[in-house]
Amino acid sequence: MKFSYSWLTEHLKTNVHFEEIEKKLTSIGLEVEDIQDTGKAYQDFIVGQVLEEKKHPNADKLKLCKVDIGKEKVDVVCGAPNVEKGMKVVYAPVGSTIPVNQMKIKAAKIRGVESYGMMCSEYELGISNEHDGIIRLEEKETIGRPFSEIYGLNDIVIEIGITPNRQDCLGVKGIARDLASAGMGELLERKISKEKGSFKSPIKIEIQDNKICSAFAGRYFRNVKNTESPEWLKNKLKSIGLRPISALVDITNFVMYDENRPLHVYDADKINGKIIVRAANDGESFQALDEKDYHLKNGMCVIADEKKVLGLGGIMGGESTGCSTETKNVLLESALFDEINTAKTGRNLSILSDARYRFERGIDPNSTLKGIDLATQLILEICGGECSEVELAGNIKENKNEVSTSSSYISRRLGFEVSDKELISILSSLGIETSQTGDVIKCSIPSWRQDIHGEADISEEVIRIKGYENIPTSNIRLKSKINKNILNYAQKKLMKARHFIASIEYDELVTFSFTDSKNCEVFGDINNLKIVNPISEELDILRPNLLPNLLQAIKKNKNRNFDSFSIFEIGSQYRSTFPEDQLNVACGIKSGIKTEKSWKNMQTEFDIYDVKQDLTSLIDYLMPGNKKISVSNDCPSWYHPGRSGSIKINNSVIAGYFGELHPSVANQFKIKNKTNIFELYLDELPNTEKKTTNKPVLNLSDFQIVTRDFAFVIDKKVKSEEVVTSAFKVDKELIRNVEIFDLFEDDSLGKDKKSIAIKVTLQSNEKTLAENDISEISSKIIESVEKSTSGTVRS
Amino acid sequence: MKDFRELETEIKKASDKFTNIESINEFRIKFLGKKGIISLEMKELASLSGDERKQHAEKLNKIKDSVLEIIASKTEELNSKELEKKLNSETLDITLSTSKSYGTIHPISQVIEEVITIFGDLDFFVAEGPEVETDYNNFTALNTSEHHPARQMHDTFYVETETDGMPNVLRTHTSPVQIRSMLKQKPPIRLIAPGKTFRCDNDQTHSPMFHQVEGLVIDQESNMSHLKGCLEIFLKTFFETDKLNMRFRPSHFPFTEPSAEVDIGYTKKGNQLIIGEGEDWLEILGCGMVHPNVLENVNINSNEYQGYAFGMGIERLAMLKYGISDLRTFFDSDLRWNKHYGFSPLNIPSIIGDLS
Repeated sequence: MKFSYSWLTEHLKTNVHFEEIEKKLTSIGLEVEDIQDTGKAYQDFIVGQVLEEKKHPNADKLKLCKVDIGKEKVDVVCGAPNVEKGMKVVYAPVGSTIPVNQMKIKAAKIRGVESYGMMCSEYELGISNEHDGIIRLEEKETIGRPFSEIYGLNDIVIEIGITPNRQDCLGVKGIARDLASAGMGELLERKISKEKGSFKSPIKIEIQDNKICSAFAGRYFRNVKNTESPEWLKNKLKSIGLRPISALVDITNFVMYDENRPLHVYDADKINGKIIVRAANDGESFQALDEKDYHLKNGMCVIADEKKVLGLGGIMGGESTGCSTETKNVLLESALFDEINTAKTGRNLSILSDARYRFERGIDPNSTLKGIDLATQLILEICGGECSEVELAGNIKENKNEVSTSSSYISRRLGFEVSDKELISILSSLGIETSQTGDVIKCSIPSWRQDIHGEADISEEVIRIKGYENIPTSNIRLKSKINKNILNYAQKKLMKARHFIASIEYDELVTFSFTDSKNCEVFGDINNLKIVNPISEELDILRPNLLPNLLQAIKKNKNRNFDSFSIFEIGSQYRSTFPEDQLNVACGIKSGIKTEKSWKNMQTEFDIYDVKQDLTSLIDYLMPGNKKISVSNDCPSWYHPGRSGSIKINNSVIAGYFGELHPSVANQFKIKNKTNIFELYLDELPNTEKKTTNKPVLNLSDFQIVTRDFAFVIDKKVKSEEVVTSAFKVDKELIRNVEIFDLFEDDSLGKDKKSIAIKVTLQSNEKTLAENDISEISSKIIESVEKSTSGTVRS
Repeated sequence: MKDFRELETEIKKASDKFTNIESINEFRIKFLGKKGIISLEMKELASLSGDERKQHAEKLNKIKDSVLEIIASKTEELNSKELEKKLNSETLDITLSTSKSYGTIHPISQVIEEVITIFGDLDFFVAEGPEVETDYNNFTALNTSEHHPARQMHDTFYVETETDGMPNVLRTHTSPVQIRSMLKQKPPIRLIAPGKTFRCDNDQTHSPMFHQVEGLVIDQESNMSHLKGCLEIFLKTFFETDKLNMRFRPSHFPFTEPSAEVDIGYTKKGNQLIIGEGEDWLEILGCGMVHPNVLENVNINSNEYQGYAFGMGIERLAMLKYGISDLRTFFDSDLRWNKHYGFSPLNIPSIIGDLS
């Protein structure tokens, strides 16, 4: 909401310095967003009179002028075609700055002749686009008078942000009222003459649906002249960024910004019969003042005559009854439209208007007739003519809210003592009448404050006027804890996973929860992930998986010359757009160069064993202690079928996957390097929150450790893990570790064969193992592995 | 009586010629070997008798000890010469190096963990809720009815599913977590809820996805002055400064009454923002006393209980604290940015150690 300081002072008698008013506005909740001191920008420009005008000796198009600026007479070289002797002009002295281009005027020789200052056009002053000649002021202007006074520019324009509850401050008067309540001066009442009207309005008004419009006041004016508005009115509207149109329209705009009272004027000669306020029917349409056609829906509030729709109540008038310079007879409307209906209709038709903005926030019912009176006075003064009596349909209900409160309630909420006396005094400064019975203070809320409904609202009013800076600061530390845990198990898991993954070289990314449906077909059904109003076509669904955005990131960074990627994200992916269908997933990618070629190392690339190790050690970190991790080949379709695995913990559900990205998905993202990924479904990890702080008992053996190596030739199809597990199970006590240390494939073994070499570590808790103990267990190991892998031991 | 002087001279002579370990070995064999001179002499002792044997034995043992001592000291001497020689030949270029790198923690995660650490110390637990929300939780329960003008300021994303006849939304703020938590838990309540939020807005200063942290305290006495105290500790700890100009000014949120916006003072030195000092104000968060209607909506008696709530933008906190100038870079996945602004995975924010 914009207003000028001079406009404000029409409602506020004050001797407080402007800077203090500016601070107070913010401190009472009317946040100052911008201040423009136009007076300052124009302060140097004054009225001058051209005394002499002759040709420049060295230039055809320039003229030499002597200009009287009051305290002296100066020589000015001027190029304007319209300059002439005796003309009153706007003079910019040496040292002033030209608004349009910020050029600073200096004393200078122009084609050999000294020039002091400049005579200005409207364009140069940034007032209009008129640059054919310099401004010709009226003859009567006094030499030396500040130019800003003449154009009404000696003012400060203030822009404040109005929160949705403060509908009362959408007019300058309301702002003045709030400032007066906060001790910034005295609220002035505008003197408005109450015309009775000399005849009955020939246009009758009928409200058919009083839920959408509770009151409609109309007044008929005949024989008006819809001229251009007078300077004062035009300057006022211009100062707050509104374009003057014609006197009738300008008057309604003025009343709206002054009193927060939207009005409308109809060309009465274009109305057929009476005015009917009713709900629209499906299929009706009309052309609004913005020259667009709108198709209406059932229930929207329309103002119609007996033939057609004339306007949308509280939102916008229609083209057909708009006022023009030919308009002779008008109908002035001041009505009370329903807030919700106005909001709904406006949103439905996407019409933003000053009237809608105000009606959906709630209008002071008392402004209905006041608005008519103020507009009547201005119309008669500017446009002449005669007015009818006011025709009122419906009821103007005052809806005075009553709220009971007490100083103890207010004190308890605000955190400091507010006495009855102080409370009552603050409320009365806001126009809230009070009556006290015992501790209870009954408040009668004025009609302009539609936002005050309860005690909590009263507490805000008190602290707003008293000043938020007066709230004391209290300690919030508690004597005893109220929460057992700050983070729960699942939250800790996420945080631990994040730090662990980053510690093994992955960079954490945070990408949008949206993604491009075109990249996601491979991730399953995406039809149930649609966003109704996406920000762009490329972000049209909730992500079914973290991968698409991470792959996109790899693609982008390749263009930035990265050739090694270790990235991860921990976040949610979605099964559907129901709130409960959100999963926590950790997803990591290693792709490209693992070790750079260097003086020490050969260049190597990441492979699936890197991400497998990362995933299993992550699981180990998150779930310390005994567990069985098993791997199988069943992976979703975005993995390379032969180079991927799923991970089950304790043979229950699948907790994650690792493997190489399917070549066709890689291709879709234009990634050429092998891309190795892991996904861990964090919600699926069994809860292993420790129940005791004790660690398991430690059993140490001091007897000698023995190792034995074995190699087996087995079918390539058989998983090498089988060799390890079948060796392990021979003796769970003696066998401490089994490790694969070699994998060998060669035609000499047979085409479909491979050799797996294992190292078995043996140790007893009771004795040093003798050679025969060792050979006994060795043959058992060979037997067991051969049996379960159908392989043979290599000798 | 035999004189061993000759033997002693021979020993002396031989011991001067040591050049390596082998020559020491030869020396040992020559005198102490099975057939060594001293060993043979020892054997002969048997043929002697009485005092003579005793005297010879004494003498011979002395000589034997001296030989052993020579062997030990010469071996030691040679070994250390040998080692010195070896060390002199074994040099590596220590200016060469290999590298070990860590990954990075995203600034959003870092700041969220810092916020949790500070509020955790004040006995707030971390609550959470889903990113897709019901219209009821996101708006209606928060005292924002269907046609409330505040809804239009939210630029809500809608999805195709519905709950109770209303389309579900991507939550526009973390405030619905207040509702979910209060339905689950009775007062006293102290919680924060960090998380992702969404608004249909995309320009220089808006991102369609961003992060907020919500705070909620409900008990029988918490009031505006506690709210002020709470935010003062938080902001001072977070910005790691003792000086903090803080300004409360009235604002409006449908779910709090009174509502306030909080500004902090700052000055600009060059390109750097100095938080806490100075005459200029930066808006940092919104807060207020929880509206009685919100409490009633979750079946908490608003005559008995009251409290405050606050909400702030994680990106804004990160930008101000760490001097990140552009909001949109957070989600741009430019690895140069991540490596520059990211944090070491080893510095987990802590009250006893460093916050950042």
